Amino acid sequence: MYRDFGTVLVAVILGIVMVAIPLLIQKLIAPSKKSKDKLQTYECGEEAEGSAWLQFNIRFYVIALIFLIFDVEIVFLFPWAVVFKELGLLALIEMGIFLIILIAGLAYVWVKADLDWVKRNVRYGTGRYQDVRMEKTT
Amino acid sequence: MTNLQSLDLFWPELIITVVILTALIVDLCIEKSKSDVVGWVLVIGLLITAIAIWNQDKTTTTLFTDMIVLDPFATFFKLLIILSTLLVAVVSWQNNELDEYRKGEYFTLLGILVLGLFLMASSIDLIMVYISIEVVSIMSFILAGYLKLDTRSNEAGLKYVVYGAFSSGIMLFGLSILFGLTGSTNYFIIQKSLAGLDGSASAALVMALLMILAGFGYKISAVPFHFWTPDVYEGAPTTITAYLSVAPKAAGFAIIIRFFHQVFADGGALADAESLSMTDVPWPEIIGILAVATMTLGNLVAIQQESIKRMLAYSSVAHAGYMMLALPVLSIQTVYAIMVYLVMYLFMNLGAFFVVITVKNKTGGETFDDYRGLGWEMPFIGVVMTLFMLSLTGLPPTAGFIGKFYIFSALISGGSQYYWLAIVGGINSVISLYYYFHVVKVMFLEGERKETLVQPPEVMSGVLLATAIPVFLFGIYWNPVVNWVQNSLIFYVQTM
Repeated sequence: MYRDFGTVLVAVILGIVMVAIPLLIQKLIAPSKKSKDKLQTYECGEEAEGSAWLQFNIRFYVIALIFLIFDVEIVFLFPWAVVFKELGLLALIEMGIFLIILIAGLAYVWVKADLDWVKRNVRYGTGRYQDVRMEKTT
Repeated sequence: MTNLQSLDLFWPELIITVVILTALIVDLCIEKSKSDVVGWVLVIGLLITAIAIWNQDKTTTTLFTDMIVLDPFATFFKLLIILSTLLVAVVSWQNNELDEYRKGEYFTLLGILVLGLFLMASSIDLIMVYISIEVVSIMSFILAGYLKLDTRSNEAGLKYVVYGAFSSGIMLFGLSILFGLTGSTNYFIIQKSLAGLDGSASAALVMALLMILAGFGYKISAVPFHFWTPDVYEGAPTTITAYLSVAPKAAGFAIIIRFFHQVFADGGALADAESLSMTDVPWPEIIGILAVATMTLGNLVAIQQESIKRMLAYSSVAHAGYMMLALPVLSIQTVYAIMVYLVMYLFMNLGAFFVVITVKNKTGGETFDDYRGLGWEMPFIGVVMTLFMLSLTGLPPTAGFIGKFYIFSALISGGSQYYWLAIVGGINSVISLYYYFHVVKVMFLEGERKETLVQPPEVMSGVLLATAIPVFLFGIYWNPVVNWVQNSLIFYVQTM
């Protein structure tokens, strides 16, 4: 078995060498003319603005999570739609249950006011949102 | 069995799923002050689930095309899990730590945890093993950090996530090596191909085994994967600490027993026959050494603890060690002994943690100082706690003694090569006597007598009695437990 892993070792060494050699070559032969523009971070052609090490609003993550769930839902819906005719009623019920579970999740984030960008609609907040109890917006 | 046929035998899990959704939706419709109602949804739902499990066909079969298994062994663990969840849910209403928070999510997450534990107890496929362990882990992370405004609880949650993610990553790596060696994720097919492996693969197999043990050991908090235990147990809400020390541990043992008996052994022990290890990998020795390390470390470190909660955390590490002692012996008696021990352990450990909750509700502390003279101030608590400590030490006439007796007798009947395990276990029990009785000493011999006696609230007294009576009763008349375990010792064994 050590011979088997010998192959892996050879592959690892080869991998390192194959990366190192091109880097070395371009270091040797490429002309190096550094300028301010060249050293800037590439941001899709826009001029770079400030540092990337800044605090993001935590709401981005919540929105991303919610998005992910419904993204997965779509992923499941497409193959289901393709075979729907063959499976018939059973498939409809199954997908119905799946969607109900997801919609319960949607209802949850809605009531907990996670869909609002500015969290104003806190109905029953805990902790530091305790006093922020707002009227239900109609 | 195909997926649709399986649904008929999958009722308990389906009921729990409905309970979880109901709890979630009920929580959305009520105000914070009334969020205890969600607990009622969970309790009633679990009772219905228990009835469904009880009335289930006593068939043994695999479900969902060999993904999970339905057998009396799994059913035993499911009932054990429901029992501990019910006790914990009732106490959660009384736990003052949770008062400032909405409890809706708390009970909902507890429901999801139960579902994960059910799957853990019954999975026979590497992928199901991983998924179920993850479900349990992720829910435990959130529950451990449930007290948002308490930094200790935040720390507990974060530490749990870091350790959990790391160990389950390692376990996944181990599972993938096992899959690479055998070409299947099904226990029975792996077992068959392991027998056909030649000796040159054993180095890889040892690697895989150790890595998988990292994941399993983390769930039952065995040394050297126990580092999360004291901090998480200390920071988490005490009800969750109690729960983590019992239910996931029981399910962890279910998964370990199934895995080692059906993958690394020929499963003969489970059919009450002579059992053989499938490989020349020294896994019984590895587990034996880990067990000794686990209980010795747990006991020795528990001695130095100032906080009762931390002391109980290390004591639960030690108890995992006692149960692991029996794993290296491949016989039906050891499985039997571990199961009996788990039942006894459930009552005594939950009880001890419930006492901690009662005392914390009253005095707001959980160090030895807060227990000074408690026996004279709250006589009921003092007596009950003494009983739990006696039982955790393993002295007769308590449930703990019966549990230990079965473990040690299974070890002795396993043959002379296991005597040393029994001896180390015995020495460890003596060590544990010191710190368990430290609690009793502090409660009764220190501090001043108070004039006024304090009674715990009725619900707490009821729950404490519900754990204390079995601890005492099973120490004298343990036939019901033994019979129940005996009837549950039927495994699904695939014949090919």
